[in-house]
Amino acid sequence: MVSLRLEKIARDFSDGRQMRRVLLPTDLELQPGALTVLSGPSGSGKTTLLSIMGLVLRPSEGRLVLGDREVSALSDDEAAALRLQYYGFVFQQPMLIEGLTVAENILLALAVQGAPRPAGVKERIEVLLGKLGLGGVAFMQPRLLSGGMKQRASIARALIKNPAILLCDEPTSALDAESGRAVMDILKRIAVEEGRLVVVVSHDARVFPYADRLIKLENGAVVSDTREYYTEGKETAP
Amino acid sequence: MRSLTALRMVVHDRASTAGALLGVVAIVFLVGQQLSILFGLLNYMSVLVDHSGADAWVMSADVRNADAGNLLSGRYLDRAIGLPEVEWAEPVLIGNGLFRTADGALESVRVVGLRRPRLAGGPWAFAEADERALLDLEAVTVDRLDRRKLGNPAIEGLTELGEQRVRVGAVTDGARGFQGTLVFAALDKVKEIARTPPGRYSAILVRFRPGADAAAALERLRALLPECSVLSTAELSRRTRRYYFTNTGIGGSFGFSTAIALLIGVVIISLTMYTSVLGRSRDFAVMRAMGGRRRDIAVVVLSEALLVAGAGLFLGFLMLAALLNATAGSAIPSHFPAVVPPLLAGGTLAVSLLGSLIALRVALKAEPASVFH
Repeated sequence: MVSLRLEKIARDFSDGRQMRRVLLPTDLELQPGALTVLSGPSGSGKTTLLSIMGLVLRPSEGRLVLGDREVSALSDDEAAALRLQYYGFVFQQPMLIEGLTVAENILLALAVQGAPRPAGVKERIEVLLGKLGLGGVAFMQPRLLSGGMKQRASIARALIKNPAILLCDEPTSALDAESGRAVMDILKRIAVEEGRLVVVVSHDARVFPYADRLIKLENGAVVSDTREYYTEGKETAP
Repeated sequence: MRSLTALRMVVHDRASTAGALLGVVAIVFLVGQQLSILFGLLNYMSVLVDHSGADAWVMSADVRNADAGNLLSGRYLDRAIGLPEVEWAEPVLIGNGLFRTADGALESVRVVGLRRPRLAGGPWAFAEADERALLDLEAVTVDRLDRRKLGNPAIEGLTELGEQRVRVGAVTDGARGFQGTLVFAALDKVKEIARTPPGRYSAILVRFRPGADAAAALERLRALLPECSVLSTAELSRRTRRYYFTNTGIGGSFGFSTAIALLIGVVIISLTMYTSVLGRSRDFAVMRAMGGRRRDIAVVVLSEALLVAGAGLFLGFLMLAALLNATAGSAIPSHFPAVVPPLLAGGTLAVSLLGSLIALRVALKAEPASVFH
């Protein structure tokens, strides 16, 4: 399991005429075994922060350290290799590829660089789907699943690689309350019981009770960073 | 898995796949059909030369094609026969005549006179009777495909050709020339029909003895007949085809229509694949986020193009085979040399890949960061 350390990470975007800083220099250290929630209003920089953590966006400044390796300025291929090795992603929409069965969508996460299909992967997918309450859907097309089932299938896609880091962007926003709870239960279990580093971006207050650590952003800056945010339903100080 | 992903995308995106497939089929079918007619016409251009059975042709000096020689003196025939390498030499007389049809009308035909009994340079395929019919001085052949035009003359039927009485002795099968209907007859009859001076011929066909060095024999023949064009059969065939190809506009016309067919195919493939990839750009961004490199995306898109091209080639060749089968033996010139299908398939694959380049460009622009929104 690996940790993720951000040292003075900042990000600028150009609107064509001038540069705009959307993420102010930020220091964070994220450890495995905990579910961290990034929260804040729209435009606060949480998605940018998540994208930098996920090596899909390069920071304009600062150092990003994955384990003990600096990964702030990797080439496209190096970043892709690390994403394949260490990361799982769950997006706001399930983003399963239409035309591929659920099992093929999951398998693609392992073989996206053309690696041969690992032995026993079919059984692993069945077991994983079973754990996520999706027994029997492996060979179904995603369009036949409900929104909650699709999102759980996308979690299975993220988990098939046993990623050390799981990054989730608003994973419950498109789901009803019950499906949202089910997804958060799964993410919490993955973080705590399986010892992975799980980061969830959300401004949905229903997600906060699951957080081991709640980081709030506003205007590109971290404004609060609380651990054990909810203990027996009571907010505690960091 | 990348190829499987491509296959699944191709199968799932039916509308765009059908569009791209149409583009590939259009290329194979339209270009193939054009080429079959072109090669059919090319065959017609040199049909007498190619089926002559001779090793060399002697024609008048500076001849540009097999149909445009001046008449030769018969003394060259005697000189050619005198060469030890020559097994035989036979004259051929080619002229024009008017064939009187059953209803009294006249049709212009090209008459080919052959010396009996060898009948060298004569017809090679028969629908009714055979070349022995031409041993009769009055006999002529008509072709199966020209029979209707000539008033459906029956075998043994009498008619008039160049104001000379002739009898239809045999019906040839596909013996047609680029310049029109071919009628074969005895040399002496053609002299009367074409009213050529005595002792003059259009060409002398020469066959070398088995085992003779053809190149050396050809050189000796050239040295012996310096006033004439002495060409191997293959060279005269090439020269004739090249002449008609470049001087009649056939080359430009077929080149243009082939280019249009290719262009239509490329545009259809480009647009449909572009639309398909545009609709899949989110999927490609997801693949990139999951660890896919740009080249992995390229593999998927190019695999899609190859899959569509493969299916299109199959369908296109199937349709082309059906067309060629349906037109075989008809008046439509049609010939498809064995070398053409692999070249056409290779060209179509290349064009399909070319058509997928715009789509590839779009797919490669899919940014992994775009999935976080």
